[in-house]
Amino acid sequence: MSKPCNPGVMTSRLARIGGLIGVYAIIGCILLPILWIMLTSLKTPRDVYTLQLWFSPTWDNFRTVFAAPWHLGDKLANSLWVALGTVLVAIPLAVVAAYAFSRFRFPGRQALFVGIVASQFIPAAIVVLPYFLMFKQLGLLDTRSALVIVNLSIVLPYSIWMIKGFIDAVPVDIEESAMIDGASLGRIIATIVVPTALPGIITSAVFSFTLTWNEFIFALITSKQNAVTLPIALVALRTERGDLWELMAAAGMIIALPMFLLSMTVQKQFIKSLTQGSVR
Amino acid sequence: MKNNRLAYLLMLPALLVIAVTTVFPLLYSLVLSFRSWKLAYSSAPGPFVGLDNYAELLAGDSEFVASIATTLSFVAIDVLATCLIALGCALLLRRAGRVTSVARALLMLPFVMSPALIGISLRFFLNPEYGVIAASLGKLFPGLASLIWLAHPAWAMVALVISDVWHWAPYMTLILLGGLASVPKETEEAAAVDGASPLRIFVDITLPQLKPVVAVVILLKTVFALKAFDAVFALTDGGPGNATTTLAYLVYQIGFKYYDMGYAAAAGYVLTAVMLVLAGFYMRLAFKKGI
Repeated sequence: MSKPCNPGVMTSRLARIGGLIGVYAIIGCILLPILWIMLTSLKTPRDVYTLQLWFSPTWDNFRTVFAAPWHLGDKLANSLWVALGTVLVAIPLAVVAAYAFSRFRFPGRQALFVGIVASQFIPAAIVVLPYFLMFKQLGLLDTRSALVIVNLSIVLPYSIWMIKGFIDAVPVDIEESAMIDGASLGRIIATIVVPTALPGIITSAVFSFTLTWNEFIFALITSKQNAVTLPIALVALRTERGDLWELMAAAGMIIALPMFLLSMTVQKQFIKSLTQGSVR
Repeated sequence: MKNNRLAYLLMLPALLVIAVTTVFPLLYSLVLSFRSWKLAYSSAPGPFVGLDNYAELLAGDSEFVASIATTLSFVAIDVLATCLIALGCALLLRRAGRVTSVARALLMLPFVMSPALIGISLRFFLNPEYGVIAASLGKLFPGLASLIWLAHPAWAMVALVISDVWHWAPYMTLILLGGLASVPKETEEAAAVDGASPLRIFVDITLPQLKPVVAVVILLKTVFALKAFDAVFALTDGGPGNATTTLAYLVYQIGFKYYDMGYAAAAGYVLTAVMLVLAGFYMRLAFKKGI
């Protein structure tokens, strides 16, 4: 049985119910649009043009985007190649550089780190002009390697910044005693620093992968046919015959779902890094 | 640890890559901005023209002036909307509980979704004939029933803000939740016991302690709004007319629709200069306690 209500209890109960409604509203705002795209990807073109919730689902759209002329499989392969390539180059370089920033106090350290963080603020539009001209000259336009190079300009500074935060949080004592025991620096990084900071390093790798996977303006400008990535393939579905929504939805799911799954695996670590203020 | 030479050695590979991928292109564009180079006519670099490109921009290129105005209004509305919504969400999600923790986990989804995909999806949702959001809003507010969102300058801007807020507000909410976690609950609870209203508690106790984090959020959002490109491309294509052509988008149009490299570089450098000033402010806030 509930106790007799005094006004204070009433308002706090009302506030709790209101709060809960607000939380459900947040969940709805996030999930409903994603669900609608998901449903659209399973609709026939005719069903897309109605707002009905009931329809017979089909995988046809996915079959269509993977077939000619869209060849989404090739674009998927390009996206994977570019994102993996970028991460595989960036993360090892970032780990050693972040280690240096975290553990050494050398002249110019502050200025260099500020420069690295500042490079994140540079608008893509200004670097994409020279890239276009240089790649044109070098014959690198429309290649996956060119995309790895440009993506490094975003991913490397970002991961140095992020991984430094994670290494900062690792206590130095073990490294110092290992050093006294005569372990080389390479050994210390490989056997002590990397394993202890691994959750953070994996988080940075996942986010670098996501950034590269979703990267748009560089891919838009440097790729034409051979190196087209998924986001560019998506906007290419706006054809002269109009927007092919059901195919866009299917392609959209192929872009978004892997990132959803991937981000869920590192969600706790990432939120921790945000709350510790190591990356903002 | 002291060995400085070792530190430089460790950083060398990363610094070399950054020099090649960021510093060199930046200098290249700076040089470019002093040249006249219309790629449509010639693939060889054109002559140096000094500050002519900048002079032409600032002397009243109407597209440039319009894009500055568009950028300012987009940034102002977008930053305000994102920050208020993120603050509201953070306050709602602050409490422990099963539903709130589910909601907190879901905050990651919009952030990892491609902005181009968000733009395309919103375009679909706002379609006047079969767009689900346009239709629902039309039912709720009959005044909006006949609105063609993306054909109307002000509403196209609203749509652009919606797509950007959907992408960024959850991320900003996470940062604010981090800030809220370090605000001690005791003072707030004591004030509540003394009969202070929730609004007073928020304004007088919570907000002052949250100020540094709010400042970071505002600044970061300003930077991301200034950089916004993907959603503009996918959602409005800068239109209708040039109603949503922000400066970042104009640089792209000058460069890759008109192929006027020097002029695009100059316009890009105006944007870059603004960004670097903001970067300076950001460093001050973020690295107050040292690096």
